[in-house]
Amino acid sequence: MPHLLRRPIAALVLTALALLGALAYVVEPGALAQGAYQERDFLSRIRRLTVEGRRAGEGYWSKDGTKLVFQSEREPGNPFYQIYLMDLSSGDVTRVSPGMGKTTCSFINPVTGDIEFASTHHDPTSKTQQEEELKFRASGQERRYSWDYDPEMEIYVRNAKTGAYKRMTNARGYDAEGSYSPDGRWIVFSSNREAYSRQLSAAEKKQLETDPSYFAEIYIMRADGDGSDAKRLTHVVGYDGGPFFSPDGKRIIWRRFNETGVIADVHTMNLDGTDDRQLTDFKAMSWAPYIHPSGQYVIFASNKLGFDNFELFEVDIDGKKEPVRVTYSDGFDGLPVPSPDGTQLAWTSSRGGGREGQIYLAQWNHQKALEALAAAGPRKP
Amino acid sequence: MRSTRTALVAIIAGVALSTAATFSQSPATSRTRTYVETLASERFAGREAGSAGERLAGDYLAAQLTRLGAKPLPGRDSLFLPFDFTAGSRDGGSRIMVGSSTFNAPQDILSLSFSDDTEVNGSAVFAGYGIVVPESQNFGYDSYATLDVKDRVVVVLRYFPEDADQQTRAILARYSDLRYKAMAARQRGAKALLVVTGPRSPNAGQTVPISFDTALSGSGIAAASITGRVADALFAGSKPLKEVQQQFDSGNPHVAGFPLPNITVALKTSLVREKQTGRNVVGYLPATGASPTAAKPWVAVGAHYDHLGLGRNGNSLAGKDDAGKPHLGADDNASGSAAVMAIAEAVAKQPTRRRNLLVAFWSAEEMGLVGSSAFITAPPLPLNQIAAYLNFDMVGRMRDNKLAVQATGTSPGWATLLERANVAAGFDLTLQPDPYQPTDVQTFNGASVPSLNFTTGAHADYHKPSDTADKIDYDDLDRIASLATGVVNRLMDQNDPPQFAKVEQSSQTVGRTGVRVFTGTVPDYTSNAKGLLLSGVIGGGPAEQAGLQKGDIIIEIAGQSITNIYDYTYALDLLKIGQAVKVVYMRGNDRRETMLTPAARN
Repeated sequence: MPHLLRRPIAALVLTALALLGALAYVVEPGALAQGAYQERDFLSRIRRLTVEGRRAGEGYWSKDGTKLVFQSEREPGNPFYQIYLMDLSSGDVTRVSPGMGKTTCSFINPVTGDIEFASTHHDPTSKTQQEEELKFRASGQERRYSWDYDPEMEIYVRNAKTGAYKRMTNARGYDAEGSYSPDGRWIVFSSNREAYSRQLSAAEKKQLETDPSYFAEIYIMRADGDGSDAKRLTHVVGYDGGPFFSPDGKRIIWRRFNETGVIADVHTMNLDGTDDRQLTDFKAMSWAPYIHPSGQYVIFASNKLGFDNFELFEVDIDGKKEPVRVTYSDGFDGLPVPSPDGTQLAWTSSRGGGREGQIYLAQWNHQKALEALAAAGPRKP
Repeated sequence: MRSTRTALVAIIAGVALSTAATFSQSPATSRTRTYVETLASERFAGREAGSAGERLAGDYLAAQLTRLGAKPLPGRDSLFLPFDFTAGSRDGGSRIMVGSSTFNAPQDILSLSFSDDTEVNGSAVFAGYGIVVPESQNFGYDSYATLDVKDRVVVVLRYFPEDADQQTRAILARYSDLRYKAMAARQRGAKALLVVTGPRSPNAGQTVPISFDTALSGSGIAAASITGRVADALFAGSKPLKEVQQQFDSGNPHVAGFPLPNITVALKTSLVREKQTGRNVVGYLPATGASPTAAKPWVAVGAHYDHLGLGRNGNSLAGKDDAGKPHLGADDNASGSAAVMAIAEAVAKQPTRRRNLLVAFWSAEEMGLVGSSAFITAPPLPLNQIAAYLNFDMVGRMRDNKLAVQATGTSPGWATLLERANVAAGFDLTLQPDPYQPTDVQTFNGASVPSLNFTTGAHADYHKPSDTADKIDYDDLDRIASLATGVVNRLMDQNDPPQFAKVEQSSQTVGRTGVRVFTGTVPDYTSNAKGLLLSGVIGGGPAEQAGLQKGDIIIEIAGQSITNIYDYTYALDLLKIGQAVKVVYMRGNDRRETMLTPAARN
């Protein structure tokens, strides 16, 4: 499974494997059989968008749909993701992050065109870390990819006009997974800063060592400020992350892991953290939700059908229906992002072969998506 | 595309699989349709290299190039670059005398296609299977270890030990090609090589049909296959060949050959090679301005325009009903030729060009990349001045928006160029680094030119008369030409030409013997799936009988794990006709098993 995640799933994989036996992982009979709908009903003219480099993922559209910002490993000397901007008419690709250290989770301000992303480039050990990772790879060893929730990860904004970088967060801890509100005035993000700012119990300290994402919560801050106004919105143990605004800017959608770090579900809430609604209940890892611009439904990824087999699903905005499966391809399909006009879908997939993902693009059939949801039964308890 | 053994195994002539014909919705505006329809018309009769149809097709392409403003290459006054090749071979009266008995061609003896024409006399030595595994393989097997064959006539068995365990067979199979056996005998000073198909092998006692070979001369040794009758005469003073073969069939390397007692052989080999002339059609669109302004001032695009004619040369997969009809080759490779012409047309209209665009239409590709090889062997311009070469072979049958781009390993710059050019074109690209493809891209890779091959892959009409122009998907063919034009424009503009990178040839693709078994599978050659993805199964064939179907991915056969098509063809060497083997395959997410019983290939 390629982890090209808006919050790459840390040591979680190991935890999960350890728990697998205990977790009565039931695959519904018939779940593998083709349902009434197939991939081609929702997605047509599927094509691989990114080709260069070892891996790419998390493509997010500019408001006018002419550009896509994404993360990719594609330059010699740095084995970590950097952030790139693709012009969808000319095909030109330019790097927008500094090139040093690790980066992730970019997003384009819908009003100013500024680009936010998380980065560790200020960390003086960045260069050494890059070299060590390259050396490790050259040794021929392999490890399961793990995201380390680097406490050096901070959110930056690259000014569209000047190209200057502005640091938006300063708290010790992992600050990332940011996205802008439709009016460009707010950034919602995920942070485990809480674990570094208060006294932890012995058990909590151990938890921080094995899985720092456990402490991650959703925060909101002004996009034009200095991050000092960041306000915490969630207060439930387990990893909260991957937040995005609804198209009308009135709600936030994100995914919440339970304490085990294995089960995740999609939630929405108001901008002040009230009215938390759970949309999914697969008892699997359901995450990376994004609301279609129509506001009527959510596309998300889940490994309901097999631990290593992530597929895209859609569910109505209130989570009243049983989610409908969208993709039917081996390997990883995740991180779906509809185009602003709702007619295309960008997502990350390993369907081209190998473990690593690339960004794919397809025409999205909105009518079919509505039709399938209308025909779906009520959500199973 | 030139058929490989792999392809032949896979796509056996016979039942046509249904392939829905796709029709362009806007024929009037297609940039490629007229070219395909003209090249694939009955008038050109399948464009076999050296034939009247090939000449007419070449004339047509030259006229179109001239219309676009292309010029003959510098120092030439014509767009035609002729070359000589061997179009076919037949036995010219070989014969063998064993003691007092004489045996004649074609009943009892046939020259091998790479034999010298000569007469030799001498005593005879039996050398088992005549296999020598190179020392580098750390597998001691040398049929000549205890034999002195200098100035003798060597008699060997065809194929490789029949009863050896799979691992041994796997290694020996690699060195059992007849050319390889002849080379081993020649290197040890033998005067001649006689090949007999043992009584315990498939095709027992039969001569080896003269295979198609484009070489213009022999390989330095007299080499012929003989029937069981001749073998009986040779073994008259020894144990019967069947008993002898049985000893060798265990694969035990210590079983040694022996001189055939009291036997003298007089051998005459004669091979008639039919020499013909083919024509590459090559021109160029000069850089604008006084001269090219970039390093390595040439970019090249090309496609082969020849095909199989009436299919008489062994590459045809026509069924009985279709045999002898013109193989019109609309996809293979009128489609690629049309793409090249459309690219040239687009580039010709552009106001400025920083490099020259070389536009090539190769002939005799189907006979073994002969035309492009002739170009490379005697290049009309220095090859190190060519920044890159793009080849197009079978680009008219797109499925699911998938376009395979092969040989991407020849330059680290390809992924960047393809990504950018494809953003507008919008194909679901599959990148395959391997340049050792059965098409002209291999030739340019061999000349250290960064190269690419574009293809939409094989299909049920491959190498059959049913590969017709009405089945071409012209909208997508136009899109492929647009994508490639984008790549060409970027190549023409960029200051630094792409760096060449050498891709090592997989040892599995070297020196393989002919596959003997038929499984009735149709592999999807454009897939990068782990395993062998089937794009179909032959009706009534062993695969269908085993319950396999389109979309299945074979991951194991006869205990051999399969990760790609090479593994698969390699594993086929190990199968025995009529002996059921376990096949493990994926259907969707299900791992399944079945038993498959290989049939004989005819």
